Amino acid sequence: MFKFISKNLYHRTITLFFVSIVSFLVIYLAPGKPTQVDPLNPKFTPELVERMRKEFNLDKPIYIQYLVFYKDLFSGKLRSWKDNQSVMKKIKDRFLNSLPLFILGTLITWTISFPIGIYSAIKRGGFVDKTVSFLSYFFISIPGFFFAYILIVFVVKVFEVPVIGMNTFGLEETNAFTRFMDRVWHLVIPSFLGATGGIAILSRYVRSQMLEVLQNEYIRTAWAKGLAPDEVYYRHALRNALLPFITMFGMIIPGLVGGSVIIESIFSWPGLGRLAYEAIMARDYPVVLTLNFISACLVLLGTFLSDILYLFADPRIRL
Amino acid sequence: MLVKRLLILVPLVLILFLAQSYLWIPTYEEQTKGNPSRLTQYITGSIGDAAILNPILSSDSASAEIENLVFEGLLDRDKDLNLRPRVAESWEIEEKIYVLLNPNSKKKPEDILYILEKAKKARDSSFGSIKEIRLLPPESVNCPPVSTRDGRRPNNCVINYPNRIMISLPKVEPDLSREIKELLGEEYYKDFDLDGIVSVDQELRSEILQRLKEEFLSTIEENPVITFYLRKGVYFHDGHPLTAEDVKFTYEAIMDPKNLSPRAADFEPVKTVEVIDPHTVRITYKRLYSPAIGTWGIGILPKHLLDRKALEEEAKRKGKESISIRESNFNRRPIGSGPFKFVEWKADQYIKLRRFENYWEGPPNYQEYVFRVIPDPLTQEMEFYSGTIDSYSVLPHQVVRLKNDPNFQNFSGLSFGYTYVGYNLQREPFNDIRVRKALAMAIDVEKIINYVVYGQGERITGPFPIQTPYYNHKVKPVPYDPKRAIELLQEAGYERQPDGFFKKGDKKLAFTLITNSGNDIRKAILAIVQDSWRTIGVDVRTDLVEWSVFVQERVGKRDFDALILGWMMGVEPDLYQIWHSSQTGPFQLNFVGFKNPLADELILKIRKEYNEAKRVEYCHKLHEVIAEQQPYIFLYCPKWTALLDSRIVIMETSEDGKIEYRKITPSKTGNYMYDFNKWIKLREKILLLDKG
Repeated sequence: MFKFISKNLYHRTITLFFVSIVSFLVIYLAPGKPTQVDPLNPKFTPELVERMRKEFNLDKPIYIQYLVFYKDLFSGKLRSWKDNQSVMKKIKDRFLNSLPLFILGTLITWTISFPIGIYSAIKRGGFVDKTVSFLSYFFISIPGFFFAYILIVFVVKVFEVPVIGMNTFGLEETNAFTRFMDRVWHLVIPSFLGATGGIAILSRYVRSQMLEVLQNEYIRTAWAKGLAPDEVYYRHALRNALLPFITMFGMIIPGLVGGSVIIESIFSWPGLGRLAYEAIMARDYPVVLTLNFISACLVLLGTFLSDILYLFADPRIRL
Repeated sequence: MLVKRLLILVPLVLILFLAQSYLWIPTYEEQTKGNPSRLTQYITGSIGDAAILNPILSSDSASAEIENLVFEGLLDRDKDLNLRPRVAESWEIEEKIYVLLNPNSKKKPEDILYILEKAKKARDSSFGSIKEIRLLPPESVNCPPVSTRDGRRPNNCVINYPNRIMISLPKVEPDLSREIKELLGEEYYKDFDLDGIVSVDQELRSEILQRLKEEFLSTIEENPVITFYLRKGVYFHDGHPLTAEDVKFTYEAIMDPKNLSPRAADFEPVKTVEVIDPHTVRITYKRLYSPAIGTWGIGILPKHLLDRKALEEEAKRKGKESISIRESNFNRRPIGSGPFKFVEWKADQYIKLRRFENYWEGPPNYQEYVFRVIPDPLTQEMEFYSGTIDSYSVLPHQVVRLKNDPNFQNFSGLSFGYTYVGYNLQREPFNDIRVRKALAMAIDVEKIINYVVYGQGERITGPFPIQTPYYNHKVKPVPYDPKRAIELLQEAGYERQPDGFFKKGDKKLAFTLITNSGNDIRKAILAIVQDSWRTIGVDVRTDLVEWSVFVQERVGKRDFDALILGWMMGVEPDLYQIWHSSQTGPFQLNFVGFKNPLADELILKIRKEYNEAKRVEYCHKLHEVIAEQQPYIFLYCPKWTALLDSRIVIMETSEDGKIEYRKITPSKTGNYMYDFNKWIKLREKILLLDKG
């Protein structure tokens, strides 16, 4: 067990090292300069551009730039090229904004997908199953931004309440409870939007898993034993159908830094997705690279966790 | 079955909990109408957040919008774009001319002095305005900070001046130096070695000498002097009075290489900034440079919060050795002397300002100014209709629909920019003016304006902003005439082939037209221009290039045939960087390679002329020259339209306390925000007569 974990960690560290090199190279080879340097602005004289390059270490050889970057990253000294703010602080602030959206989105996805998936598997081919299938494909194919606009216009016109931003603008002076509920309300639509795609996919997945499991011989044995249908479905079938979802659970962790650029932009949500997008547009390499590095870490961590979880969940895997 | 129950109950509870939160939310109605403090708030929406709130460091428009309210410069522009006193109450412009005397000449310094005095008495042309003539002894002066193009600085650089004659003038006389030269005669400087008076590190010598000559070094140095008299009773938001020291500090902060100020180029011509007394500051320039005065519109920084002592204290608090202005917290919590003071900045959410009660012109009517970041235009529009933001910039296709909506008041004007098609004049076939004219005639610009920007643009013919006096309205646009275009191409030696395309010898008339991706308007123009040119028989290919590749690889390295691009201009008519022949090198802005001796002369004359009427005259001439040469096809200047809540009006309180309301009227240049400090929102819409 210990050997397995340490070997696993060792491999991941090596992977991380290569990821750091590749992502640095990709950024380095991409054309463009930080937006603090605008070559088409007459105010930027060649001298100034040159001084900025020096300031950002862009005049050094690439391996020095690589070392300086990761040294600054680990010592926490890294600063954004766009506004000279500490990169870690920027990411932390945005992370805390994105976190509730992520948690609620995941919660909605997972709590709703399972009942839907299980039900359509049990009533396979029935009216509900067909409707759910149709809706799933509908939500998978509808463009997110379009659906978001429709929802916003609908809510604003019908209910006449604000939906964008993290809270209602100008509501700072009311009591803490109302402010909390206000925050919750502002979470509802974006996280629901973020969840629709997830629900559509995950419920299909749950359905097919259940169907597969239901064909197994031990299920037939369970029926033959004369167990109640609920007993068969929820004790014998569901447990076995759940196994693959452990892997999926590990895979949602990287989503923490992903965020959704489209949803965050439409809802004026100051989250990580927008930070990353704006950093890319502004060639703010310290922010882009740091986010890149963190998400690489999270992917490795996620897969590591699902490996470990599998060990505990599936008695057939033993080391 | 517990699992089954949980599977049904958990999502139900979750959904119910989320749904009930709706009950706690105030509706738009309650927010905008039921809230009296909303009337004293001005809320505006912006696509992007500000980057850095420091006028000497920022270069984005969102930051500038906030800085204009928090900071104030010595002067700004009034409704007609003339300079208007702000922190400075008034100013004077004088000139000092230094005539270097040739020590090898037979003429003694006294002889020269006598010649000049005589000319002064005789009041020969510009000599008449001379106030004083004085002989200066030889003197060694350290060079001003100077560096080579790649940023290297000499260790030691001294100018050993021989005897000089200083001439003081009460106003700038740009012709006087030429007249003095004529008076002294060509012979006088013949055996004078100007380079010899500079001693500098040998390895950098030639480059530094060249820079010094570009900047000021000459046998006759002309130094304009501006004296600003500051208003008394101007305070920073922390109660500290604004004095001449702050002005000097702002200049020093801009020029400090550590700060990497994007405004440094504007202030490079400054020679010295002297504090005469707390309310007088004198600025001497190295050379004649008339756009200089406009640069003092830059917000004045508080010295006591950003000087070395203050920064050291801040560094100590943060536990660091030293910090520069760039890293200071000031840029996130600015303190200036403008009509609004900074309250709060939530990154990518909003910036809040409150009115400054001690503002020298009296506090604004609004209590609060809020700058909300709403990156999506549709969301912004929804928020505007709901009343949670007060203004909305209308997109071109919405203008017709929204302009006559009685719920809003609308303003429109021309922007300070234009869109153009530029050629690489170094390349075939664009080095032939007939080809350039033919290509221009093949394009129906009116059609582009009507269909691409829905009529929201105005045809232009030259490089100056159309609402400034520098624009020459007499220049006629190139007519749309494809027949004449074909004739012109034939005159230029091209022959039409059976396939319809033109050929000269065995070379087909073919090239590539490029623009940057991500700009739909330019993309549409690209297609129209390509089609127009193909119709007359030019084989044009097009390409969309990602912005940074476009700028770095194609424009910067001159690797293009023709391109579509736009410029944003300032009020000052200084076209040196875009049109002067010295600016055609790689990564310089005259990337089309426009070289015209007459244009060069005019560009330099405009820079040196302090007399407005003459400047306008030169600009009109320059406009003519550039329009004649057709290095660009000047297409159009975009129009903007803004909507404003119709309950917002101008409120003025007269001296006897009577309150009067007035409709907001835009200035001649279309700026409706000009009277912003007097704006207020009323509870109900009232009918006001348009007195403008």
